Amino acid sequence: MNLRLLHRRLAVLMSMAGLVAFAGGAGVEPVSALLAAVALVVALVWQPDRAQSARMERIWLPLATILVIRALLHVFVIRDDVVIPVVDLLLLLMAAEALRFLDAPNDIRLYALSFALLLAATAYRPGILFLLAFVAYVGFSVMGLMVGHLRRKAERHHVRHIPLGRGLVLTSGGLVGVILLVAAVVFVTFPRVSRGWAGRGETLATSIAGFSEEVSIGEHGSRIYGNPQIVLRVEFPQGQPANMLGLHWRGRSYDRFDGVRWTRSRSLPPSAGPVQWYQERWSGPLLEQRIYGAPLDVRVLFSLHPVVEIDAENGIQPLFDNAGDFMYWGNGAPAYTAWSRAVAPSPAELRAAGDGYRPLARYFLQLPTDLDPRIRALADSLTAGLETRYDKAEAVRRYLSGFAYTLELPATARQTSLEYFLFERRAGHCEYFSTAMVVLLRAAGIEARNVNGFLGGEWSQFGNYLAVTQNQAHSWVEVWFPEFGWVTFDPTPGGAGGGERLESWFWPGRIFFDGIQHRWNKWVLDYNAQSQTGIFKRWSNAFSTQVSTADGARPRDGSQTTPLWGAALLALLILAGIVWARRGGVPLSREARMYVRLRDACARAGLEITPGVTPMALLARIAERRTGATAAAERVVDLYLRARYGREELGPSELQEMTLALSAARKNLLKHGT
Amino acid sequence: MTSALGLLSRAWHRARDVWAEIRAWRRIHFTSGGMVFSLGSFAVGFAAMNTGNNLLYLLLGAMLGFIAVSGWLSEQAIRGLVIRRHIPRAVTVGQELRLTYEVENTKPRLPSLAVELVEQGLPGRAFLAHAPPRGVGRARSVNAFSRRGVHELDALTLATSFPFGLFLKERDLRIPGEVVVWPRTDRPARAPSPSGGRVPRAGPTARGPAGHRGEYRSLRAYRPGDDPRDIHWRSSARLREPVLREYERDGAETRWICLDLRAEPGDAAEVAVEVAASLAANAVAEGRSFAFIAGDSLVDPGEGPGQLDRVLDVLARVDFSATAPAPEPPVDPEACVLVSVDGAPGFGAVLAVGRDAVYEEPHTEQGPEGADDPPSEAPRADAVAVAVETR
Repeated sequence: MNLRLLHRRLAVLMSMAGLVAFAGGAGVEPVSALLAAVALVVALVWQPDRAQSARMERIWLPLATILVIRALLHVFVIRDDVVIPVVDLLLLLMAAEALRFLDAPNDIRLYALSFALLLAATAYRPGILFLLAFVAYVGFSVMGLMVGHLRRKAERHHVRHIPLGRGLVLTSGGLVGVILLVAAVVFVTFPRVSRGWAGRGETLATSIAGFSEEVSIGEHGSRIYGNPQIVLRVEFPQGQPANMLGLHWRGRSYDRFDGVRWTRSRSLPPSAGPVQWYQERWSGPLLEQRIYGAPLDVRVLFSLHPVVEIDAENGIQPLFDNAGDFMYWGNGAPAYTAWSRAVAPSPAELRAAGDGYRPLARYFLQLPTDLDPRIRALADSLTAGLETRYDKAEAVRRYLSGFAYTLELPATARQTSLEYFLFERRAGHCEYFSTAMVVLLRAAGIEARNVNGFLGGEWSQFGNYLAVTQNQAHSWVEVWFPEFGWVTFDPTPGGAGGGERLESWFWPGRIFFDGIQHRWNKWVLDYNAQSQTGIFKRWSNAFSTQVSTADGARPRDGSQTTPLWGAALLALLILAGIVWARRGGVPLSREARMYVRLRDACARAGLEITPGVTPMALLARIAERRTGATAAAERVVDLYLRARYGREELGPSELQEMTLALSAARKNLLKHGT
Repeated sequence: MTSALGLLSRAWHRARDVWAEIRAWRRIHFTSGGMVFSLGSFAVGFAAMNTGNNLLYLLLGAMLGFIAVSGWLSEQAIRGLVIRRHIPRAVTVGQELRLTYEVENTKPRLPSLAVELVEQGLPGRAFLAHAPPRGVGRARSVNAFSRRGVHELDALTLATSFPFGLFLKERDLRIPGEVVVWPRTDRPARAPSPSGGRVPRAGPTARGPAGHRGEYRSLRAYRPGDDPRDIHWRSSARLREPVLREYERDGAETRWICLDLRAEPGDAAEVAVEVAASLAANAVAEGRSFAFIAGDSLVDPGEGPGQLDRVLDVLARVDFSATAPAPEPPVDPEACVLVSVDGAPGFGAVLAVGRDAVYEEPHTEQGPEGADDPPSEAPRADAVAVAVETR
């Protein structure tokens, strides 16, 4: 294969990698992406001659004009997103350039177009595909730029053949490794001064039901199908907690029920319960959860109840509303750390709860106006004879646990009602159970509310995190206990609730790839100043440990790292000095340097010294100036001429003499100079 | 005290030497593509810092990686080389000088690719396309000179923008050498015979004593500079090309060519040098023995191409000066041909070029650099080889 063909193919492969990177990040219109991909594949195997290329020009130009007009329409008339039209135009230009004749000097344009696609992909939140395309792009770029350079040089010097072969591939492989290593080092160490990415962000936000302003239990006629898309990835820095499948990832609470829909009261006063209660009266250690959420169309921060602190990591701003739910402001996928009390109060503690503060009854004892009297009767019968809130809540939960759990929705609209669930069907999904418990408790005079979130998750051994999928969405109940706040009760049978389980043949593979995706999100997309500080701290600690191991002394915090950074800084300065110094040409001999210094002194003294002035002419000009430097300058010039042109090697005494003469000449020149 | 100062002085000078060595190590220039790439890297870095977009940091890292790799590989391309420069013994003004370089790559694994070799002061560039690991590559530059003389070669610059064409890295190597540039020998100048040659009507004027011309020897083809009166018209008409009568005595005696150096350097002096060279070349063509005198230089009588080379070597080096000594041939001046700017008495024949003579620079149209493939064989044995090793 000749260099021209090889170079063209590598440039086309670069373009393909750019296209994949962009498609992996932002997606493209399928038609234009497909056409561009086809054109690139054709360009790999077929290159038009000059005449064919000229004929194709007549096609590209009108097409490009149409796309430009389309982009302008998007900007000025439709006022729509201009990215896709512009990307379509880019793809067309790329296809046109790839399908030019081989001698066309368009390699720079191909490089630029493919790089533009890669650059555009970074404005989104691309997945792991971007990484693969990026690595491929670097690989093809290394080979493409190298071959392109050799091609240009060979053409300039009329060299017909440069042997490359296996050596080029091996060398390129090594270079790609080095470049990626440098990229990784720069990526990790470059100081992050910006708090987060506020760009286009979550253009691929996943739509999710159950967390908007209102939630209805009235769907009917079909079945709830599971959605295995992962919405939360949760790491536990303190270690894997017990009973992970029973963890309730709380999202939003709803206080108002109209018989079919749950809504949130706009005028709800603060009713979350003081954080101090949760910190002081809930037992167990604070459980740290590092949570990486998928970009959803609702901005809810999920965590275990009760949250005592939340720290956002990637530029989002958490908002704590009156109900005690955590929302956030900002774009992109949320990444945050939440601290929650791990263990709920014991039944004994809850039974002993006094009659302290209660949230407003008109919100949390609210019932539908047309509530079926049978429900009140049922509530009375279930709680009759029980004194404490806890016993009453447990009685209702136990009662409901005898119902059946099903994902089959009621067949008709009439069958969607709560009454039908409680007294006839006695089967339903989690929202029916939680709604029934809240309504029964409220009917019994106990403040309660409905809560939506996720239940459990799948533990990823590969990534050491809990993967929570959409089909683990769940509803449960929070019951108010004075001096303890809201306490979780889950009436859904078995406590597992949720959607379909994920044990399927493809799950292990999926969780493996999700582990990679999670690492990509965590260490690349969401890498920030905090992550950077953590890494440096670990390195620093490792170094300090080594120091202490070596000399047996106990390291003091931070003191051992100072010499390390100092030495690194010093090495950097020395390196910079050497690089700066190595800019010169042929090293001058000592005699030549002294002669140059004499010339410099003459110039500073006001003598006109041009590059063409010979040593003898220099002496003549010094003599004309009558500065008293003539004799000394003559000696310098004489020794210089002997060494430079007479090929004499000057001895130490002559060099010493030359130094003294130069010093005298400079002194006189500068003294009498202008 | 004095010894301490001397010690300090030596240490100071040693430090300066080391510093000078470090500075002389390499030169790096941006190419236009490299400038765009560097500015692009700067822009991507700026955007990364402004937006906090981590993928831009990744791109920035890759771009800096390209720059780092570019620096490292270009360094590898120009180090570990043993360079042997082959210089032809001499070259004539206007003709192509082909400098050949034999580059041995001593690196065990990495090849050296796309290295240009440039002699300081010469426009031609040699291109080393490929020198395999532990192998040899060859490169050749083509130059042409418009004036005779001795051109000193001092520093050879190795330049490469390999691998990506982003930066041009140069290093200088001291490889002393010289190129001897001979004067042209094709200037029309008929040799006047001191004992009866005719004065040519074209070219420099000549004056010689009267006398008979010897016995007729043969006919030969006309050469530029011959006296047209010697053309044998009848034979020329029959053969349809000019043919000249040649006389026995023209080739029987040693022709002593004297070059008068008493003139200001300039065009007229160069014309005189070329006339002398042409006389010597004519003598070789005629199979005649000849000798040469210029200033203190004397080339004893001899004949053939070797004798011509010796004369041309001297002619390449002669310097004109108003105070130069007059030529003093070891034979009777009446038997010598004097080539001079102004002419001088006492010689058998005098070719005076005149002070207004115009030196015509040769047409030195140079072909494209390295227009041919690099030579695949080692250069001729008579070439001068100088080697230097890069570290």
